Amino acid sequence: MTRVIESDVCIIGAGITSAMVAERLAERTGASITIVEAGGRTASLAERTHTRARMLAYGENPYPNDHIPDQTGTGEMYRQMVVGGSAMHWGGAIPRYSPEDFRLQSLYGLGFDWPITFDDLEPYYQEAEERIGAAGEQGPPDCDPRSRPYPMPPLPLSYNLARMREWTDRAEVPFWTQPWARNTEPYRGRNVCQRCDTCAVCPTGAKYTPDFALDQLLTAGRIDLIPRTLVRRLALEPGTDRIAVAEAVNRDAPDEPVEFRAGTFVIAGGHAWSSHLLLLSANSRFPDGLANRTGNVGRYMTGHWFVSGYIDLPMRLYPGIFVNNSLLSHRFASPGPLDRYVRHDIRLWESDVGRAPRLRNGDGSLLWGDEIMADWRERTESGATARIRAYYDVLPDRDSRLTLDGTNTNVLGDPMPRIDYRPDPTTLDLEDHTHTTILGRFEHLARTAGGSIMSTRSSRLYEHPGGGCRMGDDPATSVVDRWGRTHDHENLFVVGAPTIVSSGCANGTLTFCALSLMSAEEIGKGFDRT
Amino acid sequence: MPETRRSFLKQSVATVAAVSATGCAPDGESSRRTGDLSADDPGAGPAPLPAPTLRAVAEAVLPEELGAEGRERAVTAFERWSDGLEPVAELSHPYLVPETRYSGPDPRPGWAAQLQGLEKECRARHGTNLADLDVAGRRQLLARGVGQAGPGLGSAANANHIAVALMAHFFASPVATDMCYRRTIAKQQCRGLEGAPAEPEVLAARTNGAPSEGRRGALTIATGAAP
Ligand SMILES: Cc1cc2nc3c(=O)[nH]c(=O)nc-3n(C[C@H](O)[C@H](O)[C@H](O)COP(=O)(O)OP(=O)(O)OC[C@H]3O[C@@H](n4cnc5c(N)ncnc54)[C@H](O)[C@@H]3O)c2cc1C
Ligand code: SF4
Repeated sequence: MTRVIESDVCIIGAGITSAMVAERLAERTGASITIVEAGGRTASLAERTHTRARMLAYGENPYPNDHIPDQTGTGEMYRQMVVGGSAMHWGGAIPRYSPEDFRLQSLYGLGFDWPITFDDLEPYYQEAEERIGAAGEQGPPDCDPRSRPYPMPPLPLSYNLARMREWTDRAEVPFWTQPWARNTEPYRGRNVCQRCDTCAVCPTGAKYTPDFALDQLLTAGRIDLIPRTLVRRLALEPGTDRIAVAEAVNRDAPDEPVEFRAGTFVIAGGHAWSSHLLLLSANSRFPDGLANRTGNVGRYMTGHWFVSGYIDLPMRLYPGIFVNNSLLSHRFASPGPLDRYVRHDIRLWESDVGRAPRLRNGDGSLLWGDEIMADWRERTESGATARIRAYYDVLPDRDSRLTLDGTNTNVLGDPMPRIDYRPDPTTLDLEDHTHTTILGRFEHLARTAGGSIMSTRSSRLYEHPGGGCRMGDDPATSVVDRWGRTHDHENLFVVGAPTIVSSGCANGTLTFCALSLMSAEEIGKGFDRT
Repeated sequence: MPETRRSFLKQSVATVAAVSATGCAPDGESSRRTGDLSADDPGAGPAPLPAPTLRAVAEAVLPEELGAEGRERAVTAFERWSDGLEPVAELSHPYLVPETRYSGPDPRPGWAAQLQGLEKECRARHGTNLADLDVAGRRQLLARGVGQAGPGLGSAANANHIAVALMAHFFASPVATDMCYRRTIAKQQCRGLEGAPAEPEVLAARTNGAPSEGRRGALTIATGAAP
């Protein structure tokens, strides 16, 4: 027999963007909210001390059961499908995008403008920072604009980072502390950071993970959370374009279908599964998938690439003091007028690369105990290593695409997603120039310190990915409007990562959260205020 | 499918370098037997690492600077770590890779066999137990087994030789880092935020509170806890 669950709002996915939408709607409206999540529960806060210890000792995954074995796509995508989503594992670096990111076409004549500006999003950035609990300091206002201070002071600069900042000040490149989703004060019932330095799994609860917010909403009776239930398809109200039902399967009882009926549906499935669900939901009215009248679902998949390296510094540092804090500069993401386009951020960490204990010395001779220690000491006393990385933006191409892969199905026979990312040709034209410019800046920093570049590499991994349901005012070139409402279905929203137009040169999750809150404001208009 | 791979690896026998450090099997067919034991009887625990031989190896491969007590703490920490090791455990997912990865098969039967083989070869070549052979002699025996390993120490669980496993485990510990820098860095130990801006304190020596002077005096450092 089919189990039917009714609510005003049905949110698909229980990751960080879902938590944002649910929290805002629960606080500001009287709407009944159901969240349906394909994954189950993973390690609770109490269990994370143990799973952390095993991660440190053996490299084990600190979040057991955080994925669904047969729900496996192809291409760069997160493995996690679990209550809390990928932000259970995240590092919690939460910079904002730069104002330029929203106006690339107007300012530089390439890429696309978003239908919103940085200023439109700014209040939602602030709100997201307050909900998450952001610890940060503002950089120079011309490249790090904000209307109000961070809710918490920044993580303190370690001895190592303070010495490194003296160096970058000499190079006249402004660096400041990376903003983090980690408490520097007790915040919303969570602990202060204890510098355990394993932020992938935080044993103290100082790092924000979405399960905290979801559990508070559950305790307050403001949401229903239905885990281990995979939505396979959205179906229309007969004769209309309105969504009537989310058809799902309880993974513990696959023969008993579950139907979610709601006035408003919100897809918060992250960058891959959101487009995937729309494509899977094809029907006779929408043969290419829901919200896909103009064929844009799954297109313009995007992320940023990076150039990274290690710098040899003539200074005495002590790697291990606080590896999980870093310095950030957005100076080159807000460069002003340019002869030739190149924008990127830069971040710096302490590192022991080139200065770790080793079994063989430079000649290849085998070393034993004291010899290893002596060789190690010599290399740590002769200088220190800084890790450096610059994210730069990749302009998305229309054919950068998520499709259904009929050759790879889950146990239910549903085709899994396949993502073939592709950069816009302009990005490829600019690639050498981008790399040369970034490496020149690394070189300048190294020289100012009296040091040298040890090694560099470039990566084409599409980090902090998004796209697939990009926002726009024109339905011919976009899937959702500025609020995340699909052009084709007035009661269907897609929130967060899938809706971005381009991915900037900074970690994306804070932006995904801000966009989700903006969507939540629009969704909330349909309900009484509480 | 990942699960199939996991089952396969779970059942597969750890024959990692089961041929001893000397290049000869520990005793006739015993490398095979060691393997058969865990393959035929998955319920059986791993072969225990012979404690005296392990300590004789540790004396040859861990820094003398640790002193006898420090070395014993390091070996005990290694034994606890080895006891808690789960072969073919699910590893942390690599960033943006939609696959599940697992650790390798159980290295412990191979390590135990290496230790037995070392004793056997030591008796054959030198007419003595490993513990009674001088450190230089022990290192000569160990060097052949270590083979081409390196240049990095790698992770202990992936070490193809018990000597490398012991060193990799110790040198990855907060104790070793503090010893190298002669400072209390206490990496990955929950330390509070307050101390972060300060230069780490000079490490006290047990004997007189002065900074450690090389191999004199064991250091007052905590042993990295096993989970
Ligand atoms: C190791 C790691 C480190 C990271 N560090 C950072 C960082 O420092 N800074 C940063 O900005 N970002 C970071 N990220 C990225 C960040 O975690 C993600 O951008 C963010 O969590 C995405 O949130 P989301 O809500 O969009 O999607 P997700 O977290 O993917 O959540 C979506 C949820 O929806 C569920 N779902 C999907 N489809 C269905 C369906 N059909 N039915 C039911 N449920 C469904 C999924 O199971 C999933 O749980 C990191 C990610 C990882 C893995
Ligand atoms: S450094 Fe802070 S946020 Fe990171 S794991 Fe430790 S306590 Fe948690």
